[in-house]
Amino acid sequence: MSGANNRLAVFPTRMTLSVMKQKLKGAQTGHSLLKRKSEALTKRFRDIVKKIDDAKRLMGKVMQVASFSLAEVTYITGDIGYQVQESVKNAQFRVRAKQENVSGVMLPVFESYQEGANANELTGLGRGGQQVQKCKDTYIKAVETLVELASLQTAFVILDEVIKLTNRRVNAIEHIIIPRYENTITHIISELDEQDREEFFRLKKVQGKKKQAAARDTLEREARQAEEAAQRSAGSGDAALTGKGSGHSADASGHSVAASGHSADASGHSVAGSDHTATASLSEPGDLLGGDDEDVIF
Amino acid sequence: MAAIGDEDSITGLLLAGIGHIDSHQRKNFLVVDAKTPLSTVEEAFQGFTKRKDIAIILINQHIAEEIRPLIEEHDQAFPTILEIPSKDHPYDPEKDSVLKRVRRLFGE
Amino acid sequence: MEALFYNADDGYLEGIVRGYRSSILTNSAYINLTQCETLEDVKLQLSASDYGPILQNEPHMSTSMLSQKCTDKMVQEFEYIRAHAVAPLQQFLDYMTYAYMIDNVILLITGTLHERDTRELLDRCHPLGVFDSMPALCVATNVAELYNSVLVETPLAPYFKDCLSAEDLDEMNIEIIRNTLYKAYLEDFFSFSQTFGGPTAEIMAELLQFEADRRSLNITINSFGTELTKDDRAKLFPHIGRLYPEGNLKLAKADDVDQVKATCDVFLEYRQFFDSMSGATKTLEDRFFEYEVHLNKKSFQQQFHYAIFYSFLKLKEQEIRNIVWISECISQGQKERINNYIPIF
Repeated sequence: MSGANNRLAVFPTRMTLSVMKQKLKGAQTGHSLLKRKSEALTKRFRDIVKKIDDAKRLMGKVMQVASFSLAEVTYITGDIGYQVQESVKNAQFRVRAKQENVSGVMLPVFESYQEGANANELTGLGRGGQQVQKCKDTYIKAVETLVELASLQTAFVILDEVIKLTNRRVNAIEHIIIPRYENTITHIISELDEQDREEFFRLKKVQGKKKQAAARDTLEREARQAEEAAQRSAGSGDAALTGKGSGHSADASGHSVAASGHSADASGHSVAGSDHTATASLSEPGDLLGGDDEDVIF
Repeated sequence: MAAIGDEDSITGLLLAGIGHIDSHQRKNFLVVDAKTPLSTVEEAFQGFTKRKDIAIILINQHIAEEIRPLIEEHDQAFPTILEIPSKDHPYDPEKDSVLKRVRRLFGE
Repeated sequence: MEALFYNADDGYLEGIVRGYRSSILTNSAYINLTQCETLEDVKLQLSASDYGPILQNEPHMSTSMLSQKCTDKMVQEFEYIRAHAVAPLQQFLDYMTYAYMIDNVILLITGTLHERDTRELLDRCHPLGVFDSMPALCVATNVAELYNSVLVETPLAPYFKDCLSAEDLDEMNIEIIRNTLYKAYLEDFFSFSQTFGGPTAEIMAELLQFEADRRSLNITINSFGTELTKDDRAKLFPHIGRLYPEGNLKLAKADDVDQVKATCDVFLEYRQFFDSMSGATKTLEDRFFEYEVHLNKKSFQQQFHYAIFYSFLKLKEQEIRNIVWISECISQGQKERINNYIPIF
């Protein structure tokens, strides 16, 4: 299996050929499917990248507004940082992940939801409470933007990964698997042709031999007949005539067998072929029956 | 969600209600000021990345800059790391890990 | 009568305060500040003012640093006055610091409740509210201990004693505690300032009444839609304001801003707070601040009274807020709101 010549180690038979053809077809379908998937993903990916870019910029603005509203709070209420930190108990703002299916890839989508009591409800009660609440709302909005961005970013990372994987597969199929099947198929076809020619040649040879034998037989018979005729003509001919008739009919049937063998070349071959596959499939793992052996079998 | 940031950013985020203290008294946020040693930040960051209940880590960009290698190292999709601007450090898209990757991908 | 002996004891300090007052940034200084592009420009503008020397050695400007330095400066001035004050004025100044003490104590209680290292909390306390036994508060590990052994030692003890028990500390919302304390403080300060009589009592009454009413209004508005019940709300209203008692009663029953507005309509000064509330860029808080500045400015019109010290501190606080606000706007590039500061002179 090296270089351009790489092919599968299979036995070149018609059966394998059809199997290989099926496999090639499968690979091609798979290739086009994967290619399409990769394209769909890439499209999505580009969308996401664009969105990320926008969202990141938006985030910059949103966060600025948010921190400005915090500055407003500081202006009116004074420093509330410590108080807020200390009143933390349970997360009120939470996220959960949902799955979204994009061409068979599960992308997590974060979803934010509010839960539980507002821990800072009374912060700034005596002064600036409204600002605190306003600031809180601004920050909730900001965090929502952040959550959105986070799902985009996760999608980005996962898609990146999946696209790479898919592209790798597409390339592998395109450049390794398909050529390999194609090579195997051409190999099998050429081997089969070779076999055909060999078989044809063998049969020709057999026929030739048969013809020679038949010719010799005829010659001998004619010689004998001539001899017998000579003898007959010399002696009485009745008994000799029956003997000659039976001899002739046997000869004819022998001839027809040879002829049918020849004409039914293809069918005979196919039978032999199936026979062969049987042995091949049996011995395939070991692959002991190399090219030389076939000749011996037939 | 978890957050690492300066006091103002954290205060704001906590106001939004992301703060959480679990039964082991672990907090999901860290206030970083000039006196916070880098090792504390790194520890907190790694702690957050390992926690199962955290899907998003928010980190101030200027702090992210300091532990950049750690962030680059983190290549899983979960938890997502989001660099956010802080009050004194406006957002600079050039430094963002993810945007850098975007740029690289499109060969800009 | 008072004026006769005033100068003997407090004349020097009044002079000092009037001197400090003239260092408060003027409107034109604010206009210059709002034109700044960066914090460095702000520093340059401030270098001509009293804040110049303290900012000179700061290599890196940030808004938090600025507010820190300005507060330091204010505290320094206040401490100077306090160090030179004698008997009644001394006590008056102490009363002024109690407000900050309440904040600090609340901070410490919060920290203790969450079993936090209280030493780091001390750094966060407002310097004006520092009292001697404060580090001792850090020793306490639980709230009951804090209450029994330490809080009774502080100047705030009477406020705690009157309105809170140790159990309350554990259970009540920290904000309610804060406001309860503040209410007690305001009432106490009010009755104390009334003992002076004369212009001090007169001006302080006006200032503290406004402060009390402001708190009542704020608590009312801010408690809409929260778990705070109306009864609890009523308990937090100070009993000294002009709104007391009938206004407070109405506020206690109010359900929305309109009812609050109706309550205030009776008072000429307060009516303006709610005029054209919608649409205007100024919030209610801004209007409160404006009115407070107005009242404090008025106290400088008279002589021979103590309210001038109180007013000075409040004006200075407002000034710091203004500076921080402006620099915040500059550093965050939100120039359109920069004029929301409240000019003093």
